[in-house]
Amino acid sequence: MATAEALDGDISDLRDRIATLQAHRASLTSILLSQPHLPTRLEQRPVLHERNRRNAAKLVQRQSNRNLENVYRACAGVTAYKVKDPDPCAVDNGNVLGVRIDVSVGGRFVDTYHVLFNRPNAAHKTMLKIHKHTIPPCIPLQPLANKWLPLTRKSAEEPREQDLVRFGRHLRKELASWHLRLEALETLQKDAKLPGRIALQEGLQGELEPGMVLNAFVSDDEDSEAEEGANEQDGTPRISSIDGDAAVREITITWSNGTVGIFKVTKDGEVDKAAVRTKEGTRDASLSSQALGRVEGLVRRLEA
Amino acid sequence: MAPKPNTAVPDYRNVPHSHRLPTSHREVQRTFTKLSRQSLVSLANQWLAKKNRDFCRPYLLGDRGADAEEDDEQYTPAQSYEELQEIYKELAARKGGKREIQDRILEGDWRTGISMYQLATAEIQYLLDHPNSLRWTAKRLAKIPSGKNMALDMEVTNDSEHLPRFQAQTFMANLARELTPLMKAHYLLIKIKTMPMTILRVYIHDSPYSTEASLAIDNGSSDNARAVFFIWPNGSNFVYSSIANHFGQVISDDGRHLRDIVQQAIPKAFSRPSARYQLASTNFTTKSLDALLAYRGPGKSNAASGGWSIFQDHNFSQNALDFITSQNDHGKEKNGQRKDGAVGATAKAGPGRPKRTLEDKETSDAKRRREVAAGRFGSSAQPNDGQGLERVEVRIDDAFPAMPNSADDADTSNISEQPANRNRRGRPSLLDRSLDEIEELEGADAWVPDVRVVFQGSHVFAGVRQLVEQGIVDGEKMPGWMTGEAGVTIGAVKEGRIRTKSGQIPGI
Repeated sequence: MATAEALDGDISDLRDRIATLQAHRASLTSILLSQPHLPTRLEQRPVLHERNRRNAAKLVQRQSNRNLENVYRACAGVTAYKVKDPDPCAVDNGNVLGVRIDVSVGGRFVDTYHVLFNRPNAAHKTMLKIHKHTIPPCIPLQPLANKWLPLTRKSAEEPREQDLVRFGRHLRKELASWHLRLEALETLQKDAKLPGRIALQEGLQGELEPGMVLNAFVSDDEDSEAEEGANEQDGTPRISSIDGDAAVREITITWSNGTVGIFKVTKDGEVDKAAVRTKEGTRDASLSSQALGRVEGLVRRLEA
Repeated sequence: MAPKPNTAVPDYRNVPHSHRLPTSHREVQRTFTKLSRQSLVSLANQWLAKKNRDFCRPYLLGDRGADAEEDDEQYTPAQSYEELQEIYKELAARKGGKREIQDRILEGDWRTGISMYQLATAEIQYLLDHPNSLRWTAKRLAKIPSGKNMALDMEVTNDSEHLPRFQAQTFMANLARELTPLMKAHYLLIKIKTMPMTILRVYIHDSPYSTEASLAIDNGSSDNARAVFFIWPNGSNFVYSSIANHFGQVISDDGRHLRDIVQQAIPKAFSRPSARYQLASTNFTTKSLDALLAYRGPGKSNAASGGWSIFQDHNFSQNALDFITSQNDHGKEKNGQRKDGAVGATAKAGPGRPKRTLEDKETSDAKRRREVAAGRFGSSAQPNDGQGLERVEVRIDDAFPAMPNSADDADTSNISEQPANRNRRGRPSLLDRSLDEIEELEGADAWVPDVRVVFQGSHVFAGVRQLVEQGIVDGEKMPGWMTGEAGVTIGAVKEGRIRTKSGQIPGI
């Protein structure tokens, strides 16, 4: 058995090594293909087969396209591209304009979102309509579209100008601030030394309960009684959970002594309203006023 | 918890968690026979947890008290909660039939009755074990536009909120206020950890009393579904609703009526002054919870289904700092082939050997068809992605193709009279033309027959994809709604596109 295990270990080591080497080769390839004078040199040098030259030129072309696209995406954040709708019945012969929004948090690009427009109105060729998109529902896409991409409706008394650039700018702001709030929530959980979202998901497999009952009105903390005894000695209840809604506009913090605080967060990450109630149901005004301020320091302010 | 009143007086209270149903009650029996051994053990352990003990009191030795005449009992009552927990832990570790656990719960440890809380958690457990067991309809909470706040609602500011606010306590209080004058009910609201959603189960108790005794009365004749489920996916404005009918149980008009009452109360419970909500249909019904979360869920996939699914994940939109062009394509192709090969090998293991060799030398035609299917369906409509829609129904609203022979005109006028007379039995379909639409059709001079196409199966769009790959459906001429990109299960098609309301952004 031991030898089989050792062999399995060797195999997986080798697989890992192959994967690293392949990744290394790929990155070397793209560096080589990105050499500035490569196309001209390929043209000048003699080659054995004309086909190889064409293939190489194609690869170089593809790499330089990718480089250009990535530079635009990384620097602009909002970029546009063209798509062809494969649907034979699509409006406007399937011409679709895509807008891509790259969101970066902490020096990394975390996610990419797309909004795809078509032109349903043959008479007004410049009027765009959202055809498909990958914007999560917690982002106010509809109000933004109402504001910056008005459709020609008879009821609208003063037809506003369509402004795709400002639509993109506002949508990007919403998406970026949402990701920043998500990040801030995770930082808070780290500050309070709670298991993060990923750790929670991993731990879920062994968990007994499928969820949290919201209308049971009892403490959800499994060992609350034991802890209450401990808390009476040192007198400081600790934070037992930090939870946010999907849009992270509202953060709920539960303490081990049954105190619950609900904090409203504005889109740019300011805690602007707070309500803290003790287990008996009385309001804790001092904690509530401590909570106001930037969301990143919430736990620090509460524990101070 | 208030002391139980001995007299039955009509009141305005909800049915509390701790009220018990006798173990012989039909609902209890049905629910418990459905659950697997593993789920039963896990449920029993949950009920014995400290925080749930108030709602799930087992029969302990201390409860026997004076009337200790039962000597022939099969299960001796346990001394304490801890002993019971030990017993169930041991049962969990051991192998055995599920009947053993079921009997132990119903005839042993909870012989005095199953509380409403237990019944509710058991049914939710079953729902999570079998996410395709109920039929769900997705609705949307839409704000009723009020003239005064119209301009304000459109504004997107730093602290504006476009989704209805969901606070469990406030919502439950509002809902109970709407419903208690009409019926008594037991509510259980639970936030699921494994899926991004919140489930509300309403057990409808059609009686003016909220006492334990009135719960137990089985009004024999009518075998109605008593429970209704509602699900809110987190961070979106959708609501899924379903009647919790047991397998083979018919949903009577009574059950449907009670569900409608609860359903009407939900937008009212969400509403607050100057923000009124109503439920709007989203033309989407399915049995699969995964499909619901994909098409009407909290993520990126709502408005990018079908071929547009490539925009959801990273195979179209690589990271902006990923400059590598060479490896990605190669790796993917290889992976794809390997996967196909593996699927073929497992499917054709055994007698289908010669078939497989045929498939290996795939003709260029078949390869092209597969590429067309990949282009039209993207990464969606895979037969085992768990997001199958069982039924897709469309009405074709295009005019009948004009006949070169003018003599046919007389015939068509006769035919168009017919459908009105031939009344279909049962409830009116959602696809029946509204009066406006009929009027619109009568104004036009072309004949538009009432043609409906129904696709039915375990996974409709995966089936269409296979038909495209087999060359039975022309992948290039096929209209877009056949790829599932419209994201509806019922709709009217005009000029090859599903009709939508103007100004409506898909997937919101």
